[in-house]
Amino acid sequence: MAVAWWQILLLTLYAGYQILDELQVYTGLAQPVFAGLVAGLIMGDITTGLIIGGSMQLTVLGIGTFGGSSKIDANSGTVLATAFSVGIGMEPEQAIAAIAVPVASLMIQMDILGRFANTFFAHRIDSKIEEMDYKGIERNYLMGALSWSLSRAVPVLLALSFGGSFVNSIVNVLNNQLQWLGDGLSVAGAVLPAVGFAILLRYLPVKKHMPYLILGFVITALLTTVFTSIRTLGDTMTGVAEGFTNTFTSMPMLAIAMIGFALAFREYKRTSEAPKAAVHNASGLEEGEIDDDEI
Amino acid sequence: MMKSNYKLTKKDFNQINRRSLFGFQLGWNYERMQGSGYLYTILPQLRKMYGDGTPELKSMMKTHVQFFNTSNFLNTIVTGIDMAIEEKEGIDGQDTVAGIKAGLMGPFAAIGDSIFGALLPTIFGALAANMAVNGNPLGAFIWMLVNFAVMFFRWKQLEIAYKEGISLVTTMQGRLTAITDAATLLGVFMVGALVATMVNVQIAWTPSVGGLVIDVQNNINMIMPRLVPAAIVGIVYWLLGKKNITSTKAIFIVLVVSIALSALGVISK
Repeated sequence: MAVAWWQILLLTLYAGYQILDELQVYTGLAQPVFAGLVAGLIMGDITTGLIIGGSMQLTVLGIGTFGGSSKIDANSGTVLATAFSVGIGMEPEQAIAAIAVPVASLMIQMDILGRFANTFFAHRIDSKIEEMDYKGIERNYLMGALSWSLSRAVPVLLALSFGGSFVNSIVNVLNNQLQWLGDGLSVAGAVLPAVGFAILLRYLPVKKHMPYLILGFVITALLTTVFTSIRTLGDTMTGVAEGFTNTFTSMPMLAIAMIGFALAFREYKRTSEAPKAAVHNASGLEEGEIDDDEI
Repeated sequence: MMKSNYKLTKKDFNQINRRSLFGFQLGWNYERMQGSGYLYTILPQLRKMYGDGTPELKSMMKTHVQFFNTSNFLNTIVTGIDMAIEEKEGIDGQDTVAGIKAGLMGPFAAIGDSIFGALLPTIFGALAANMAVNGNPLGAFIWMLVNFAVMFFRWKQLEIAYKEGISLVTTMQGRLTAITDAATLLGVFMVGALVATMVNVQIAWTPSVGGLVIDVQNNINMIMPRLVPAAIVGIVYWLLGKKNITSTKAIFIVLVVSIALSALGVISK
């Protein structure tokens, strides 16, 4: 048994809890990166969990529950991928493409089922309103937590309990007969964040802010090349020259975000002052002082 | 017609906030979405206002269980405005309340989805993910802190909305537009930055022309580093604009094409 019973229990409990967290209080525990962290912690390999969770986070970056539509369940995907990756010894990138993504999209059906089940409770609430049974209204309302929780916990429990040997044989095949597919899955895992970014751009006003998209990309592309090159140089130097003990860090993403923040702050200043100018213009027009120069 | 004489207290606000924060979407269903959730958050207050067993209470409960769907980060703004009206007008305000609920849920859904559903997850989720793939959980905890700050505002907004009433919506409008504009700019900038760092794939194809081996990736680097990830994102963006392409379909298309190109030796990690 690759995954111990207490690990299955804890992972199942987390799967049942996270959906409630996401729907209500939103601490962040219901994000793929935390799903990876929690699953990694339970499985005893935080790094693998963070890699899988982080990648899944990027893949679903732009996917939200807009207008109550179902979204792919990256959390359950991350939990299962992390559990099997650590438990059976599967490369994290392979686990992302081979387990996390398919599981996440299959789980859409469970989300629909959960939301559907709640319609039943909604009708019970209607009849309790007629009876003026206040406790009954609240009880039937809170029952909704069950449909939500079970819709995530049950599939995760089943997959962890019975999926082990199945995943094990897949890993075997991927590392032997179907090496090309195994490598391909790793590459796919690395490409997947691109989908998250593209979805996000669909939701953001790209055309309006195009210059900033270019700026963000170019600044980062250049800096990351510089930082990576210096690091490679440094590592090589350490191996060659004995007296060379400097260490170089990788590019800090927070610094890039600060540049973006500065630009956004300027924009905020500009747009929040703009309405006043418009009002001024309008009053000028009323007085008949049309400035042709301004056009 | 009976007017309600009940005035909401600090305790009531806390109760509504507690119910909203921990239970607002438990009853989400396809038929009326957050309808029963809206009733659940204010049920104790309705009972105090109209009195148990009165026909007014029953009629109001029926009003509040109707279809409702908005951002679960901003729902208590609607609740606050609603409570102020019901406290003042009682059952006479029934139509006003129903109208305000229907009128405000759309705009607040849009604002809430873009700020809390897209922007914060982009900026902080990206930071968290960026650190996570390097094995560092710090970014995830920074994000969690931000979420707790958001929770604080969610808790505060109910009372503000209750005091300001419907005028709040107009005063908020101007500032919100400016904030949304600045925030989307930051979002777009960050996506640009992420494309440059988080899509780690390159061209492995090295064709030889007349004995001369061409390193395609090296040539691309001379034009612009990280051009391959940018091109991939561009293609997926274009793909998502097609009819019948959902995000889930796009993910699977990328999965299959990546495996194929990798097997052919065109791209590698």
